[in-house]
Amino acid sequence: MPTYEAPLKDYRFVLNDLIQIDRYANLPGFADAPRETVDAILEEGARLVQEVLAPLNQVGDREGCHFDQGRVTTPTGFKAAYDTYREAGWGALTADPAYGGQGLPHVIGMMVSEMMCSANMAFAMYPGLSHGAYAAIHAHGTDEQKQMYLPKLVSGVWTGTMNLTEPQCGTDLGLMRTKAEPQGDGSYRITGTKIFISAGEHDLAENIVHLVLAKIPGGPAGIKGVSLFIVPKFLINPDGSLGARNGVACGSIEHKMGIHGNSTCVLNYDGATGYLVGEAHKGMRAMFTMMNEARLGVGVQGLGVAEVAYQNAAIYARDRLQMRSLSGVKAPDKPADPIIVHPDIRRMLMTMRAFTEGARALALQTGLLIDFSLRHPDAQARRDADDLVALLTPMLKAYLTDSGFETTNLALQCYGGHGYIQEWGMEQFVRDARITQIYEGTNGIQALDLVGRKLPMHMGRLLRQFCHPLDRFIRENSADPAIGKTYVLPLARAFARFQQATAWIAERGLARPDEAGAAASDYLKLFALVALGHVWAQMAKVAGEKLAQGADDRAFYEAKLVTARFFMERMLPDTAALQAKIQAGAESMMALPADAF
Amino acid sequence: MGAAPGIARVAVIGSGVMGAAIAAHVANAGVPVVLLDIAAEGADRSKLAKGAIDRLLKTKPAPLMHPSFARRITPGNLEDDLGLIAACDWICEAIIEKVEIKRALYQRLQTVRKPGSIVSSNTSTIPLAELVRGQDPGFAADFAITHFFNPPRYMRLLEVVGGAQTRADALAALRRFGDETLGKEVVAAKDTPGFIANRIGIYWSVTAMEAAFDQGLSIEEADAVVGRPMGVPKTGIFGLADLTGLDLGPHVVGSMLKLLPKSDAFVTAYRPDHPLNALTARLIADGYIGRKGKGGFYRDRGKEVLDFATGTYRPVVPAELDSVKAAKSGLKALVEHPDKGGRYAWTVLSRVLVYAADLVPEIADDILAVDAAMRCGYAWKEGPFQQIDRLGSGWLAEKLKAEGRPVPRLLEIAAGRPFYKIEGGKALYLTPGGDYAEIPVAPDAWTLADKKRGRERIAGNRSASLWDIGDGVACLEIHTKMNAIDGDVIALVAQAAKIDKRGYKALIIGGDADNFSVGANIGLGLFAANLALWPVLEGGIAEGQSAYMALKYAPFPVVAAPARMTLGGGCEICLHSDAVQAHAETYMGLVEAGVGLVPGWGGCTELVIRATLNKKRPGGPMPPIAQVFETISTAKVSASAAEARDLLLLRPGDGITMNRRRLLADAKARALALAADYKPPAPVEINLPGATARAALDMAVEGFVRQGKATAHDKVVAGALAKVLSGGDTDITRSLKEQDIMALEREAFVSLLKTNATLDRIEHMLETGKPLRN
Repeated sequence: MPTYEAPLKDYRFVLNDLIQIDRYANLPGFADAPRETVDAILEEGARLVQEVLAPLNQVGDREGCHFDQGRVTTPTGFKAAYDTYREAGWGALTADPAYGGQGLPHVIGMMVSEMMCSANMAFAMYPGLSHGAYAAIHAHGTDEQKQMYLPKLVSGVWTGTMNLTEPQCGTDLGLMRTKAEPQGDGSYRITGTKIFISAGEHDLAENIVHLVLAKIPGGPAGIKGVSLFIVPKFLINPDGSLGARNGVACGSIEHKMGIHGNSTCVLNYDGATGYLVGEAHKGMRAMFTMMNEARLGVGVQGLGVAEVAYQNAAIYARDRLQMRSLSGVKAPDKPADPIIVHPDIRRMLMTMRAFTEGARALALQTGLLIDFSLRHPDAQARRDADDLVALLTPMLKAYLTDSGFETTNLALQCYGGHGYIQEWGMEQFVRDARITQIYEGTNGIQALDLVGRKLPMHMGRLLRQFCHPLDRFIRENSADPAIGKTYVLPLARAFARFQQATAWIAERGLARPDEAGAAASDYLKLFALVALGHVWAQMAKVAGEKLAQGADDRAFYEAKLVTARFFMERMLPDTAALQAKIQAGAESMMALPADAF
Repeated sequence: MGAAPGIARVAVIGSGVMGAAIAAHVANAGVPVVLLDIAAEGADRSKLAKGAIDRLLKTKPAPLMHPSFARRITPGNLEDDLGLIAACDWICEAIIEKVEIKRALYQRLQTVRKPGSIVSSNTSTIPLAELVRGQDPGFAADFAITHFFNPPRYMRLLEVVGGAQTRADALAALRRFGDETLGKEVVAAKDTPGFIANRIGIYWSVTAMEAAFDQGLSIEEADAVVGRPMGVPKTGIFGLADLTGLDLGPHVVGSMLKLLPKSDAFVTAYRPDHPLNALTARLIADGYIGRKGKGGFYRDRGKEVLDFATGTYRPVVPAELDSVKAAKSGLKALVEHPDKGGRYAWTVLSRVLVYAADLVPEIADDILAVDAAMRCGYAWKEGPFQQIDRLGSGWLAEKLKAEGRPVPRLLEIAAGRPFYKIEGGKALYLTPGGDYAEIPVAPDAWTLADKKRGRERIAGNRSASLWDIGDGVACLEIHTKMNAIDGDVIALVAQAAKIDKRGYKALIIGGDADNFSVGANIGLGLFAANLALWPVLEGGIAEGQSAYMALKYAPFPVVAAPARMTLGGGCEICLHSDAVQAHAETYMGLVEAGVGLVPGWGGCTELVIRATLNKKRPGGPMPPIAQVFETISTAKVSASAAEARDLLLLRPGDGITMNRRRLLADAKARALALAADYKPPAPVEINLPGATARAALDMAVEGFVRQGKATAHDKVVAGALAKVLSGGDTDITRSLKEQDIMALEREAFVSLLKTNATLDRIEHMLETGKPLRN
């Protein structure tokens, strides 16, 4: 059985050494999270996920959810685990204190999310979706709606869902058919079929708050005519107690490649009572405000699964004895050397490690930016943070899940044939991670969002918050004797490639959209590598300073420096290939007629 | 500029809106003008004309190109000052539209005007034959109608109508004066009701409004169709009515109905009981006479609109018509579109085109006059016959036939052939006789298109081209959107500076585009700045500087021919030319400060050198620097070429051309004159005071910030500018070369680009078209 140990040391490094979160004690909520409190929260969280959630991961995978006449039963132990989670108040961690939340910084919540996804991604999705529903109602609901739904979602007494997909409408929500007819009393009758609804029906909570996109008849055609509704599984009485069953029923659950412990439902709405959230026909706008968070959340899922896969691969590589080292026997007392001596195993381990540690730092920096964008007293700082979050979000979603999946695959590879055997648990990580590349907007869509929407927005303004600090960092540190040559110069070269590729896309893509579309996925990867390069260079700088100051945990900081160097030398150079691919243009990609395929 | 021989002094009688504005425009042309109105009661019997001149100075858009030109207008009254007319070569009457009063005035004029002087009326509704009835034959020979459009400074059309007895040389003198001196597009019209432009324009207006109502379009929808998609100003038809005044409508329609033959389509189609008439009458009665009143079809600055169904105002709902989107691929796509916008467009366009086609040769000898009148009098992008060519004359005839409508004779004569065509390098038009004739191009009045026809460019890229315009002169044309300057333009400027190697002896810079140039393409710059592509931006600045310097020191003369917007990098092209021949309507300025920058292509350098070496300046190094500092830091833009002189953007020797169609010819003539015995300018050096001047400028800005007249970032921008203009780290004893000051420009430019506030300004300008005050 796989094991998991929360990477608390790395969290502390990012929070205290890299981000230096103490500097932001002036922001609302941050003062409530001094170092000791954060430590306690992380340790409590680690205990929960290691002791309660991780042991259920394989159980959930083997048992899956069960559907019987509209009811869905979650795997053995999920209900009890959810009760433990709920009673400890984990759902309230970053939520608004006005509705029973603790108001802690988002960046703290992100670490807890990562741990939960490492331990049991299928389970983590239940509260994750509640948080999505919470965010939508919090941003766009009326006061009455907030009072009615938020406290229960925050406490976890109820859970939430997001209903977008329909059989004929996946990425293209303009094709939506579910309709919402006004009832004259302010409510709507919702009729239609939604599919792929995670946590759509289950036995964990007494009520489920469905957030449903639907079209009001007579509204604008396509995506501009979509509105957002709250449709509770049980209607709510004026006193807050549960009333009649609403006209929404689970028709079946899907049989999936992974995340078996999460119920993925077909939901049939048959004249269900729904309540408009925000303005009519502005449903997509309401969705988009929470999309950043949801997409980052999926990125963190990719990271979480990658982390646990890596940990097990590293343990296995130290234990498993096969062959002798190419450079001579390393364990003469044993029949063979542990496979960790082999360069190719090292290649895989270092690649995984450089990814997870870099991605974690980048995700947490972004989490902090979300806090800035919501809580910073200075409007300009809020806008700047919002710009950068908007730019980074599609990249983090796609890159963390693509590389997360790739990491689970590498981890499985380290196991050789055992990786392919269920009992070892490695193939579950591969299967579970695979969905993260698909849902919440496929990674191809993320790349299009980056290139088609985020780059041109305000004539490249979003880029400014990424490029200017990076440009300054390079200028200020390229001559630094400690990090200049090893870390900053490779970064400077990669950044120049990124600038050239961006300018190329801006020039070509404007005239020929297919060029931008063809470049998008490679461009996203190029962007991700440069962003990771920046964060790795920053980490190298901090680690070097810590070592110079005589920090206690020398091994930890030295490992950071080595991993940073590995990233610069063995991962960042991919930017050259990516730039070449991007600037090769769309021609060979688009030349063949459709019937030649 | 200046008077064409024959008319050296002008009188305008009637100081109402039109009369005063015509007088102003004569003054704009540098011609002294007498403005007379009836004698007022009281001490100052000339107060009507004097009041009119005062109003000219306050009216927006300004009828005068420079406030000082008001002094060229001599006010007076018809009792005491009629004698002033004796010295005038042309007397333009612009009094009330009452035939008896006009005739009485003419009789008085006869007693004082000098022999051979010309009298004209600006009437728009009274036939010439009526006006001269009963006057003596000598008067009729000297009399014509000169019909200006409001506002006369800005509307390019001048319809000149001669009567049966009018002297040919009098008409020729008027046309020439109108064309060369006043800069108007002079169209020969006949003595028919409404002449050309109003005859078609009023029919168009009534048709478009009634059809909108009849076919169930909202006002917004109608204006979205009869606007840009149909090649007319974006105000649309109802917006235009608000602009000109609803109260005017019934008068002009009434006079047309009275004057036109009963068989005219205008009269036969007119429905006095159309509900729109009652609605308009009610609006007028309630004071909703358009923008000059409480509102009209729109009110509250265009936020609310009249709803035909309820007769009340409601919030504007932007029109969503597929036909309007389809119009991007052409007029035909619009009228063929099946939605209500397309059907409406077809109704309006087909009626108007048929009406116009039926009127040649009744109201004009040829289609050229009709098309020119509609372009210049109603600001249509293309005249009716150009529009027919867009549809195809055969297609239009077939479609009319299919709908059972009569086909105009001229359309049958065309028999499927186009009204205009290019053949053998010549531009031809279809005469009413059915033959093609060459569109005449005068040797001293042409467009670049006339020179380009049938030729390959000498060199060029996607943003700019070099053309051979004959006599060893080349023309550099910019053809980007709004003539913005990008890297390709700069590259071609650099190439143009070596055009002597290809045997050319002079270069002019200009073209047919509306604007000379709105300046550098800041969109590209902003994207690059956001990307932190500093080396690229620095390189762009340096390349522009060296290209412009190459122009300045080229071994042949360079003459810039700016017109309309000539801003930023476009203005800097002019600053580096040996001479400028500017269109009178040239709006020039170094506007970089508006987007948080300083001029970087030598604008600061050239202007500070110009000011410092200006012999008329008061002594000491500070006044010239302060003047340039004010011009650039407040992003001043001249409202005319005349005003550009005040800002030193035009030098005393630079010329001004009133008629846009003569601009390039004048520039070419200037270039050829300079080419004889040309020597490039000698490089100059100046001494600038350095830190002391900079401190003084900074202090002045600090004062403005304290008074709330300047923002925090204004201070940053002005500080960067002060450093450049004061010469950086220099002192008055050191001589600075142009390159030294340009290095300061580059440094200031890039340092400002690295500030958020400058990038926000650029972004705001690009997204809203307005400056951001941050």
